[in-house]
Amino acid sequence: MVFNSLEFFIFLITIFIFYWFFFKKYVKSQNILLLISSYVFYGWWDWRFLSLIMLSTIVDYFVGIMIDSNETTFKRKQWLWVSVLFNVGLLGFFKYYNFFVDSWVDMFSAIGYNMNSVWTLKIILPVGISFYTFQTMSYSFDIYYRRLKPTRDFLSFATFVSFFPQLVAGPIERASNLLPQINKKRIFNYDQSVGGLKLILWGLFKKVVIADALAPIVDDIFSNYTSYPASSLILGVTLFSFQVYGDFSGYSDIAIGTAKLFGIELMSNFKFPVFSRNVAEYWQRWHVSLSTWFRHYIYIPLGGSRVSKLKSVRNIIIIFLVSGFWHGANWTFIFWGAFHALVFIPVFLMGRNTIYKNSVVGENSYFPSLIEVGQMLFTFSIVTFSRIFFRSESITDAFGFIKRILSDFSYKSYCHPMGYRMIDYYILIIVFVLYEYRIRKDERSPFKFKSKIVRFIIYTIVILGMLLFYDSNIDRSFIYFQF
Amino acid sequence: MKKIIIKSALYIILILISLEFIVRVFHLNKDNPSRFVDEYKVEKWIPNQEGYSVTGNRRQNFSKFYINSFGYNSYREFTPSKDKIELALVGDSFIEGFHQNYYNSIGKKIEDKLVDTEVYEYGYAGYDLADQLHLIYAYKETFDLIDHVVLGLKFKNDLNRGEYHVVQDRMHLESPLYKKARRIKLLVYAQNIGVLAPLWKLAGRLASIGKKKKPYVHQKKETKQDLEIKHATYIKNFQNLIDIYGFDKERFMLLIDKGITPQVFLNYLDDNNFKYIDFSQSFNESKKPTTLIYDRHWNNHGRNLVAGVIYNYIKDEKTKTD
Repeated sequence: MVFNSLEFFIFLITIFIFYWFFFKKYVKSQNILLLISSYVFYGWWDWRFLSLIMLSTIVDYFVGIMIDSNETTFKRKQWLWVSVLFNVGLLGFFKYYNFFVDSWVDMFSAIGYNMNSVWTLKIILPVGISFYTFQTMSYSFDIYYRRLKPTRDFLSFATFVSFFPQLVAGPIERASNLLPQINKKRIFNYDQSVGGLKLILWGLFKKVVIADALAPIVDDIFSNYTSYPASSLILGVTLFSFQVYGDFSGYSDIAIGTAKLFGIELMSNFKFPVFSRNVAEYWQRWHVSLSTWFRHYIYIPLGGSRVSKLKSVRNIIIIFLVSGFWHGANWTFIFWGAFHALVFIPVFLMGRNTIYKNSVVGENSYFPSLIEVGQMLFTFSIVTFSRIFFRSESITDAFGFIKRILSDFSYKSYCHPMGYRMIDYYILIIVFVLYEYRIRKDERSPFKFKSKIVRFIIYTIVILGMLLFYDSNIDRSFIYFQF
Repeated sequence: MKKIIIKSALYIILILISLEFIVRVFHLNKDNPSRFVDEYKVEKWIPNQEGYSVTGNRRQNFSKFYINSFGYNSYREFTPSKDKIELALVGDSFIEGFHQNYYNSIGKKIEDKLVDTEVYEYGYAGYDLADQLHLIYAYKETFDLIDHVVLGLKFKNDLNRGEYHVVQDRMHLESPLYKKARRIKLLVYAQNIGVLAPLWKLAGRLASIGKKKKPYVHQKKETKQDLEIKHATYIKNFQNLIDIYGFDKERFMLLIDKGITPQVFLNYLDDNNFKYIDFSQSFNESKKPTTLIYDRHWNNHGRNLVAGVIYNYIKDEKTKTD
């Protein structure tokens, strides 16, 4: 069941009504409803994979208790390893098994020994496995580091693991944020629910209008990059930057908004990364729940930036490579991660990785300064370039794409594969960027205008935009489902 | 809790009203003319209607139509007489031409070339050969006055039946419910762009709950033998229609695309002295696209080519007669 479907709309209204009318009295009843709803939501894709979530829930529930009940670091570590090996093993089998087999075969082929890839399996990647395994692992880590006491309430824990708004594509929640909210009875809050509805609307706009509308153009250019001039390739990867942002941040907004409807606050996942002034700021604004996960559970335990510069650089390389590999079992993602490490390290060595941590562009003025505009364009260009690896089917395609841009630079106006006016899309992107700039200070309030009339006009424009760019023929699933 | 439900409902209503207003102001929806079945059981448009045909979410194709007093989309009235030379184009949506301005139709293009001839367009979306021949039969007196009649024929689509009867599915669109729904322009727009499709699909699924499901029949690939049987049936239907409604081989000619017409039917036409105009060659030789981007109908260039082919044919016929 995807967020942008009629089924989900009906599902959400039904659960919302049941939740606040019939199940509101006790925290237990609220959690039972959320758990059942979450399993229905997930089982809608493939009910067989419910067993994986259940298994992961059971393992981490008991591991959490076992870590906490042992006082010695050795024993605690042993139990932590049980959780890590189980979750990484699950992920490894379903997501990376074939990749490792194929890479092994390719390696032998490269040295002249041809092997047949008979070990690969026909495995379907369970939706959201990368997200919920990381979420349950964070629970074990937090208990291990004594940041959290394990819950003895299995129902609450199962609800935490499978909470449907963020189950399949994040935000990857920390137990320390989500579990206490699940353990507590939720009371209806009008402002919170209205805030949720607004986020859902904005998320849908980003998905339907930005991501879905750009998808056919991006698909066309990346599939046929050998027959397009460099100008079209640059256009394709630039539009992909907006597509993936609209797609994923749209999903996150809908997830956060949906959770709000049930009285639960999820962490922010996107903080207008388009307006980042350097790559480090970009990583503080893009997929925040994943980047903080890596920071908390890999980078800091490895020593973070408190060790020697050399070791810090090593740590940066590790987290970017792991982050790349997390995205998919393909060399393209590893190159993407390596590229980001490469552009992050100079920023780190210059000590500029945290200078924009608590500020936004144009903090005290309406417009950004010329220097900020330059910084944003430079950062956007770097990030967009890296997306060539992110979007290409194979590493050969990625380098072919880059080679074509560099070696055969020519301009020719691009025509939409379905013949639509391209100017519509250019105007759309400009208006979208300007609007995002206007709301850049608060990612959780996309319609923060004092005047009710202005707000109403914007709601109408947003819905009209969805109608104007709705395409009934395209695949409406979210890009990050594949991860 | 009640407040959010009431306020959401209020907002939804106000937004829908605003969207209805916007759709009307920018004319994003297409106008649907009303249809009827006349006293001769001919299905056509109610005379003297005009409006705009719109394709795409963002009005990507926008054209004006005008239904004349005879009930067809045309730039002119049909007034055949013995003193004039007339050419009738009879066919489906390609001849009807809602996707083009009515004053830039194939008929108009031919008339501009054939200075002394009036061109009448009897086009109606969904017309097959049964509709076309029945129309000519029903209005025999009118058609007897017309010198040349061109009938558009797609072998694959237009020979499914051997006898005419009113297509009730199309006429259901004139039910009071549909008519009322069509007055809500936002609804028409949403339907045209496919936003409502998931809703209808779900409604269909809900309606089928409890009903016995039909076993799934795997669609087998059409064999050569199947195709031969099908072609034979279509040719039989063609013969039946001619037997029932008549076909003046002197004045009537078929407009076909040889590229999509089976050889067996072409042989049949040749053997039985049916005249036909083939436009496939000019389309194949065209370096520019011949169909619209947003749907499969002929674009202005495609219409120019078809008009050119018909003009040349009529001119040759005239030369032969002279």
